[in-house]
Amino acid sequence: MKRRISILLLFAMATSTLVSCFSPAQGQNDPWTPQQLLAPADLAKTLKDSKSPQPIIFSIGMQAIVKGSIDIGPAMVAENLNVLKQKLSKLPKNAAIVVYCGCCPFSRCPNIRPAMALLKEMQFTNYKLLNLPQNVKVDWIDKGYPMNE
Amino acid sequence: MKNLILTTVLLVFCSSLSAIYAQVPGLEKGNKAPEISLPDPNGKEISLSSLKGKLVLIDFWATWCSPCVEEQTDLARLFTKFKNSGFTNGKGFEIYGVSLDAKKPNWENVVRSKKISWVQVSDLKFWKSPVAKTYNIQELPFNVLIDGKGIILAKNLHGIDLEKAISKYLTK
Repeated sequence: MKRRISILLLFAMATSTLVSCFSPAQGQNDPWTPQQLLAPADLAKTLKDSKSPQPIIFSIGMQAIVKGSIDIGPAMVAENLNVLKQKLSKLPKNAAIVVYCGCCPFSRCPNIRPAMALLKEMQFTNYKLLNLPQNVKVDWIDKGYPMNE
Repeated sequence: MKNLILTTVLLVFCSSLSAIYAQVPGLEKGNKAPEISLPDPNGKEISLSSLKGKLVLIDFWATWCSPCVEEQTDLARLFTKFKNSGFTNGKGFEIYGVSLDAKKPNWENVVRSKKISWVQVSDLKFWKSPVAKTYNIQELPFNVLIDGKGIILAKNLHGIDLEKAISKYLTK
């Protein structure tokens, strides 16, 4: 019986390790939690509803595509990350903030990690990463969600 | 005799169908690759159809895509190797590089640093570029190999697979 339980436990541990390794949305050392991923459909719904409180959206990638987003530039560049820091320093810690890049799949994106790490370091309490696991074309543009002109 | 006539009619019909199919713009092997016409770094508009007669690799890339930038070294090797070669379906080899960059200086810097000597075009519209939609690009890098008539021979081949695909059409 004990042996069976040990085998089952080992199997459960191996499965959970495999799942966390291959999860497309979050790697082991990524500075966000699954709860901090914002579904594109949810943000699109909020943007279309003018009565709904709007978050502050920062594009920390190549181009501000999402409607109403502020173009910071690639957060992998120290200068751009500093611009983001300056803008964030003027906001209350509980401000609703969304960041996104969308150049490449999450696993290869060089911009989302520095931006999310900065938000964590600055102790913001209500910030999200727009869940664009493939890229902003596939996960936003192709779906017809609102875009900047 | 009746059978012979029927077979001939069928053969003519099938060959006409395949000829018509090859003229249809599309993204499948055997389709005619959709036209692209975009400016080069100097602002001069260069169309894909202007390369008619050559075997052409349409390379969709961007400087923000690290695997794409890494691949440029290999593309330079293939370009040097095949540019003056004869193919069964084209004379000479060309690369039509389509950048999905958003910032011109980034694009120009990498073109310069990688010494890219083949055709380079971009509308600098990032993922909003209409060609990304036309070619249904899901991820970079992405490429399409076309023959001298603009017919798609292969899609999204890289490294040794790409080299083999090009070599397949070399004249003996």
